[in-house]
Amino acid sequence: MAVGSNHGNGLFFRTLTEVQAQHIHAASSRILEETGMVIHHLEAVELLRQAGAYVEGENHVYFPAWLLEQALRTAPSRVTMYDRMGRPAMYLEGSNTYFGTGSDTLNFLDPFSGERRSWRTEDVAAATRVCDALPNIDFVMSMGLLSDVEKRMINREQYAIMIQNTTKPQVVISEDGDTLRDIIEMAAVAVGGKERLRQKPLLMSYTEPTSPLQHPAESIDKLLVAAEYGMPTNFACGGMAGASVPTTVGGALVQANAEALSGLVIHQLKRPGAPFIYGYGNSPMDMRTMQAVYGTPEAILFQGGLVDLAHFYNLPCWGYAGCCNAKVCDEQAVMESTMFTLMGALQGCNIMHDVFYMEFGLTGSLELLLISNEAIGRARRIQRGIDTDPAHLAVEAIQRVGPGGNFLGDEHTAQYFRENWQPDLSDFNNYENWTLNGSQTMAERAREKLKYLMEHHHPEPVPAEVKEQIERILKAASARLG
Amino acid sequence: MNSFGNMAEAVIAGDFETVKKMTQTMIDEQVDPIAIINQGLMAGMNVVGVRFKAGDMFVPEVMMSARAMSTGIELVKPLIADTNMPSAGKVVIGTVKGDLHDIGKKLVVMMLESAGFQVVDLGVDQAPADFVKAVQEHNPHVVGMSALLTTTMLKMKDTVDALKEAGLRDKVKVIVGGAPVNRSFAEQIGADGFASDAATATDLCKTLAQ
Ligand code: B12
Repeated sequence: MAVGSNHGNGLFFRTLTEVQAQHIHAASSRILEETGMVIHHLEAVELLRQAGAYVEGENHVYFPAWLLEQALRTAPSRVTMYDRMGRPAMYLEGSNTYFGTGSDTLNFLDPFSGERRSWRTEDVAAATRVCDALPNIDFVMSMGLLSDVEKRMINREQYAIMIQNTTKPQVVISEDGDTLRDIIEMAAVAVGGKERLRQKPLLMSYTEPTSPLQHPAESIDKLLVAAEYGMPTNFACGGMAGASVPTTVGGALVQANAEALSGLVIHQLKRPGAPFIYGYGNSPMDMRTMQAVYGTPEAILFQGGLVDLAHFYNLPCWGYAGCCNAKVCDEQAVMESTMFTLMGALQGCNIMHDVFYMEFGLTGSLELLLISNEAIGRARRIQRGIDTDPAHLAVEAIQRVGPGGNFLGDEHTAQYFRENWQPDLSDFNNYENWTLNGSQTMAERAREKLKYLMEHHHPEPVPAEVKEQIERILKAASARLG
Repeated sequence: MNSFGNMAEAVIAGDFETVKKMTQTMIDEQVDPIAIINQGLMAGMNVVGVRFKAGDMFVPEVMMSARAMSTGIELVKPLIADTNMPSAGKVVIGTVKGDLHDIGKKLVVMMLESAGFQVVDLGVDQAPADFVKAVQEHNPHVVGMSALLTTTMLKMKDTVDALKEAGLRDKVKVIVGGAPVNRSFAEQIGADGFASDAATATDLCKTLAQ
């Protein structure tokens, strides 16, 4: 596959042509060569200087093309993420797609009181357990910012909650390299040591440097820590089109790609072959409200371009799905998030986060999470495409049933109907039966199911001694931070 | 008067070439430089403010108008004594220690400037001592702090305390903003004001700088 996504049975989608991808690559290379990047990290600048980059002053680095090409050669084209039991859970490669939540929303849209309030430890734990139960949520992020723990401990406490309430892989936020080290410790005790964690990564580090054309110290710190441990990391610089990247989708892609490649170079110099997930977070600025908005047509197109660039470079790719700007789980929420989910699936973005985000990432909704789980299910069926083998072309069945017959009574139907998508939250009842069931909207059905999952789903617990070790790591960190 | 009207129109249209030419013509015709600012350039910008709030203009257009206005101001500035320079007030602003989010703060700066404020932008990652030093140095009407992280928000209180300690708290109004910040937090840390967006921040500064 050169540029574009190959799904099942010939279903193919692409946003850029091969020639367009080449144009963007050339333009990004020009930016890196002629304008360069400011890198606020001495070790990284030194690595780059020794490798042959041009350094002006203390930290203004210019990247020759061969340096990019060298990094592209050493970076792996596929990364496997494992669950807590050490079973392969996500193959980040080609057009495979996986979905997960977002991190650190400030407000929790309490599904039962309808209140928009801050997150408490038990809310994040319950939300994580719900993710554990949902078949189309493949990985988790921290979802909510904890309002009931010491602020410097938030990322560590979030990790302790995640690892104990789901077996699914995690993408983790850490405020600095030190936090990340503690998180790695916790993961290592759960899977049986650092070497095992390196071999079978349970977590991916999330790094989000600042556009335009600069990398802050702590992002590079985390990038280098990840490379050092051989732990997968993304490097999704965050920008707002119209403010920190150009307002045109093409221009945003050129700059985003330049920044992503510069991160890749640093990462591969630290440890050639370390797993790197290419990507960028672009929320266009709405020019009336000045908000960083999610899931606009341009944001979706941007992601399509970015994924095609990842395919062009043969790198795994990071992106978004299932997120929105609405304040409550309403029609806008479902429209924006579902469009993003379906398009992301078709684009073949390997790992998409922020499912359940409302209000541009400031609020999280579990109703939206459940509705998105269903939308992802629909999208996944579409990704399988149309089977055209003899059994699916069903010539014999058509002949058997013949003119005026009915397929309902034919064995072909009985044999194959289960391959078709089946609704869970979507209501296909007639009007009378829908009323008999309480005339519920989809969000109401989602709340009902949430209640059920919260009461009945119990994820595989961590062993008692692991729990103790996690407590010990948390205590030590808390003591260190004073 | 009509030429002031045309100048205001050119500011509204964000046409800096025309604004530049008109300003130069007026200077050559010995029009009062303060009148050029107040009745021509600022008059245009005031309309822009109203139209933006009504949703008839977008941010990039406001920015073009602001640039057009400053092109004119640059030309008349040398003709006016510093003390007579019309200004809506002076604001010192920065993002607090540990926080690198600055898109919102930059927008606040641009909106304030386009409303005629003199703004000193300290940049990101500013410690309480940096704010204190800047207040001592620039003697502003208002000092503004921006924070987008729950962890760094706490630094706002430290700055308010540091201003108190330095004996500056009565001399300057303190305002705060950024996504996690809200009115009750502002009150809790003893700030004088909070605004949830750049347009409201400008109105707030107008009230506080009076
Ligand atoms: C863009 C962005 C980034 C960019 C910032 C680029 C830059 N140069 O600013 C990057 C990618 C660098 C980034 C990094 C991080 N981010 Co960030 N980021 C955002 C995002 C998506 C948008 C922020 C933004 O620019 N909004 C648009 C502007 C225009 O709005 P605004 O900032 O709110 O400003 C308006 C008002 O608040 C007000 N205002 C602002 N300042 C002031 C000041 C005064 C005095 C007044 C009166 C008014 C005022 O006026 C502005 C204009 O209308 C938000 C989510 C969100 N929707 O807010 C997350 C968000 C703020 N980030 C978040 C996080 C967690 C991080 C990271 C820690 C992630 C990581 N581990 O890598 C790092 C932290 C880096 C650091 N040390 O600061 C969380 C914060 C959670 C929290 N509150 O603690 C958020 C909420 C996203 C999330 N849910 O996870 N981020």
